[in-house]
Amino acid sequence: MSEVATVAIGWGLTFVVIATYSFWVVSRGRTIGRELGIGEVQQSGQEQESDLSTDN
Amino acid sequence: MLAEVLLLARKDLRIERRAKVALGQVAPLTLLIVVVFAFALDANAPLLEIGAGGLYWVAVLYGGTLLTQRAFELETEGGNFDDFRMSPIKVHSLFLGKSLSLFIQICALELVLTPAVLLLYDVQVTDWLLLIAAGVAGAVAFSVCGVLWGVMAAGLRVRSTLLPLLLIPVLAPVLLAGSRAFETALGIRADAGWSWTSLMFVIAAVHTVVGLAAFGFLLEEN
Amino acid sequence: MDDSKMTATPLTRVLGILGIVAGVLMAVLGLFVSPPDVVQGEAVRMLYLHVPSIWIAYGSFVLTSVSSLLFLVRSRRREDGGRHYDRMAGSAAEVGVVFTGLTLITGMLWGKVTWGTYWQWDARLTTTVLLFVTYLGYLALRRLPADPIVRGRRAAVMALISFINVPIVHYSVDWWRTLHQKASLSVGRRPEITGEMYWTLLYSALTVTIVGAWLIVHRYRVIRLEEIRDEENLKMLISSRRHERPTGSAADGEVS
Repeated sequence: MSEVATVAIGWGLTFVVIATYSFWVVSRGRTIGRELGIGEVQQSGQEQESDLSTDN
Repeated sequence: MLAEVLLLARKDLRIERRAKVALGQVAPLTLLIVVVFAFALDANAPLLEIGAGGLYWVAVLYGGTLLTQRAFELETEGGNFDDFRMSPIKVHSLFLGKSLSLFIQICALELVLTPAVLLLYDVQVTDWLLLIAAGVAGAVAFSVCGVLWGVMAAGLRVRSTLLPLLLIPVLAPVLLAGSRAFETALGIRADAGWSWTSLMFVIAAVHTVVGLAAFGFLLEEN
Repeated sequence: MDDSKMTATPLTRVLGILGIVAGVLMAVLGLFVSPPDVVQGEAVRMLYLHVPSIWIAYGSFVLTSVSSLLFLVRSRRREDGGRHYDRMAGSAAEVGVVFTGLTLITGMLWGKVTWGTYWQWDARLTTTVLLFVTYLGYLALRRLPADPIVRGRRAAVMALISFINVPIVHYSVDWWRTLHQKASLSVGRRPEITGEMYWTLLYSALTVTIVGAWLIVHRYRVIRLEEIRDEENLKMLISSRRHERPTGSAADGEVS
């Protein structure tokens, strides 16, 4: 395997792994946020501390 | 405290004597491992001879992990650690007592494995003292680490696959040290056998200290 | 505090954009602008990923340990049990595992080109593999079903013990490989990095830190959301069972 090919694979893999993981984390946040009925304007972070025990 | 430690160890060993799991199942199992290694390595005599030290300790690692799992299954027969936790024995004694019984069982295992390896892999002992010291050091390290990690990861409510996953990375240095020490004792290579043995004692000591400190806390949490 | 992290969305947007921009720049610098090494050739470009990855991984694991310690120390005094420390420990550990994995992969690719082999049993690589598996085990322990506080405490103890174990493992493996150096392939020290390569490396470290921080914050939030969801499910389960019983029944236990 040539040097250039190795570098390409290494960098490519790294970016793919980070992108995939990032995507997974963010979309998981969105999914759960939707389940809980939290405002989805923002990404996974936005959430209120209010009591959510009322029926959805 | 010593009395409590011995009491607990004796109780465990009595159960073991009746159930005969350690000698009846685990020891034969580790013997099998020793045999299977020969199959795996194509019965290559020089290779087995060079690898004898390490293969021995892999077998001990395997058997020791099973014995550790068993040591905690004993306590969770009722479904939880309650009986164990509520016993009037002090927490430090619980830790040391459990370790002592496990230590004795692992020593018994080693007593079975040593002649097997000597015979099947055709190696001779050049330094008996070192061999025994290393065997004991390894057993102490295995038992103390096993009890400490066992209380976190063993028992009925936990899959039996978790304990090995947590325990083996911790025991890796012990395996490493034991193998090198045994290689010196078996004349396979001139190495710092006693230094490796000391390392195992150091690892055992560190885990004993940590175990004494954390055991009560961890027991509470189960 | 919970709130400041939860409402710091503008922060993560900034971080996220910074991370992407910095990442693109890092690729340009690392792949094109910086020169190939005299000895290693193009392979040196792997180091711009490999070295920062392990730095961030170590940093994450340190964060896990510190959070675990704080969790144990503070948990009894706080009403919510100091669970944000526990969340941080879990988040940082997972991100650390990802970066350790990347370290191993990029290291192996680098090794293939420079040493001619994917793997060598040198101290650093071996310890890194053990570190990787150790924290995989930690993540497995965190997934055990249990009361969240119990689970958090158990994980915290494991994190701290593992942390204590790292120097032991490193020392043992290092000594082992030093003793047996003659038997192995020549290990080949990583070369001195100077000039443009040095600055590229530093810049890459900065970029990876930004990306790592962004990941940790988001992962933390997801853990928080999962906790809320689990609590909600539990509440619904209990309240639905309560509605099944005739009113006034004293048999129903109170949820604490």
